[in-house]
Amino acid sequence: MEKNGDRAVTPTAADWVDWEVGTVDRRIFWDQAIYERELERVFARSWLFVAHESQVQAPGSFVTTYMGEDSVIVARDDDGINVFLNSCPHRGNRVCFADSGQARQFTCNYHGWTFGLDGTLRRMPKVGLYKSTPGFRMQDWGLKRARVADYKGLVFATFAEEAPELEDWLGDFRWYLDAVLDAEAGGTEFLPGGATRSVMGCNWKFPADNFVGDIYHALWTHLGGAEPTLGRHGGMQVENAGSYQVSVNGHGWEFNDSFLGNAATMGDRDLLRYMRSRQEAITARLGKFRADMWGSVASATIFPNFSFLPGYFTFRTFQPKGPLKTEIHAWTLVPKDMPDDIKDRFRRGSMRTFSPSGLLEMDDGENWEHSTSANAGWITRHQRLCYAMAPGGDLERNDLPGIVSAGQLSDANQRLFYKRWAEMMDAESWVDIPVAQPTAGAKVDA
Amino acid sequence: MSTSLDAKPNYLNYPRLSREQARAAAAQLIAMTGDGSPVHDALLPRIQRFYLREARLLDEERHEEWYAMLADDLFYWMPLRENRFRRDKRPEFDPDNMALFDESKADIAVRIGRLASRLAWTEDPPTRHVYLVTGIEAFETAVVGEYEIHYAFVQYRNRSEHDAAMLCGRRRDLLRATGDSFQVARRMILLPQSVLLTKNLSAFF
Repeated sequence: MEKNGDRAVTPTAADWVDWEVGTVDRRIFWDQAIYERELERVFARSWLFVAHESQVQAPGSFVTTYMGEDSVIVARDDDGINVFLNSCPHRGNRVCFADSGQARQFTCNYHGWTFGLDGTLRRMPKVGLYKSTPGFRMQDWGLKRARVADYKGLVFATFAEEAPELEDWLGDFRWYLDAVLDAEAGGTEFLPGGATRSVMGCNWKFPADNFVGDIYHALWTHLGGAEPTLGRHGGMQVENAGSYQVSVNGHGWEFNDSFLGNAATMGDRDLLRYMRSRQEAITARLGKFRADMWGSVASATIFPNFSFLPGYFTFRTFQPKGPLKTEIHAWTLVPKDMPDDIKDRFRRGSMRTFSPSGLLEMDDGENWEHSTSANAGWITRHQRLCYAMAPGGDLERNDLPGIVSAGQLSDANQRLFYKRWAEMMDAESWVDIPVAQPTAGAKVDA
Repeated sequence: MSTSLDAKPNYLNYPRLSREQARAAAAQLIAMTGDGSPVHDALLPRIQRFYLREARLLDEERHEEWYAMLADDLFYWMPLRENRFRRDKRPEFDPDNMALFDESKADIAVRIGRLASRLAWTEDPPTRHVYLVTGIEAFETAVVGEYEIHYAFVQYRNRSEHDAAMLCGRRRDLLRATGDSFQVARRMILLPQSVLLTKNLSAFF
């Protein structure tokens, strides 16, 4: 190990990440070979978020997105939602160039091979040329299909046949997810208009680790953004009393019990008034503990690159585009039954805080870009980063599922995120990757 | 986080459009096709001067003076651009869709407040901006003293050492005469990028 001065030529990922002391090797944010292994061992093995059900509601509706660097089409047919590669198996050309829309079929521009909403090859020009080709079978040449599963409106997919079921992959994190996905009866939807997309010159893990457990940065990074909206109203309170970090299989959520601490920074009194009016009903539905998470000072990442913020209800993927580039795709999620006027307030509120023009997001990108680019320096790159903060330590709360740490100001979730990353990077196959056994849920407020 | 600045404006009392007013403003901008009567030849140079001054004030970070060039009923809108098939029947611009800017004058004031706070670390040292406006066309509208303006812009910025972005686009304004000068009452900013090829929009357009 490098720490002992005799580092192996091919170190294991466990050498790059020391999740007990809390140090991370900066080369994992820079190195092309490590990035290539991430595409293979993290992205191609994980359940990745691809769409919200509301984006593909009617048969024929589709969106295109990415799983790792693989372009995919998410399309609904009469039988459900299909996810398949957006690359023609004939010569490899991209098949669908639209971000969203309605289609009966997808036709490749190059030679006209045409695929159904489930990705199967339906026909091609001069099909007789293939019919007279010995051994050619149409069913061998469809667009490669992924496994698809959903949790309360969020659709995930994976190309890994050996990956566990989505419910095991999410495990007990589902119990916490209900605080944003099941706060109101009637389910959720993404607001219309497609994804807000922007490019950052940073490694994808910096935003992912920021959302998994770094509220610490808000106390300093976001002073300028929060001051105009919050200055007269007491500011955002971030304390370790009454707050937590929780981690399950590398997914993580840091949160307090303020109910609308995040939402308050949008500076919209009518929106806050509405949220307060729903507190009693949501508490009756979820219990006080999870109801208090609905719009609280909080952030979360579903491993590896799908993150969200309660309160603003921005959901985003950090799409990897090489070790030094990340594309952010963001949507706003609201309860379907919310009044139109309140939905519109969330549309504008999330845009003004967490979008490329957002008062708070504008500060983040700059940090992540320079945390990445500084690693060009050889000496710089060989100094490990500090993820050591642990004021609360592990919390013995057997009434809460997952690994729970006391206090949201901590690096606990980030250490567990990188532990998960190292486990997947080192594992030869899915058999070697541990999966936490889901419990029967939580006892708190049950 | 908490701040202790007392002499702060209360942005909640700043001019803000209702949802209905914003939708009506968006509809007006969408309907602007530049097919009306061109303004009188004597008026066009005054309008051009207004936009050259606006570009210079933004380059020089004279935000308070720029703010005075905006009408109290301002609607300031940068819709998202999506890649869609030509056969797609959905309207290209819809005020209910997610956007990059969808602002009243109060929201502009908050953004200026962020910069004025000196707590926006990403603007210290400051970004250097160059704003070019060109191809200004001005047309009469049904309202005397309100003009429909179409033009193109280039917004170049540079900060730190290698950090540069160039955004080109088109704008549609509803410009209102106010005594000796004008104010922007509606503004629609159309960037051609579907994926924003820069990390943020920490600039005014």
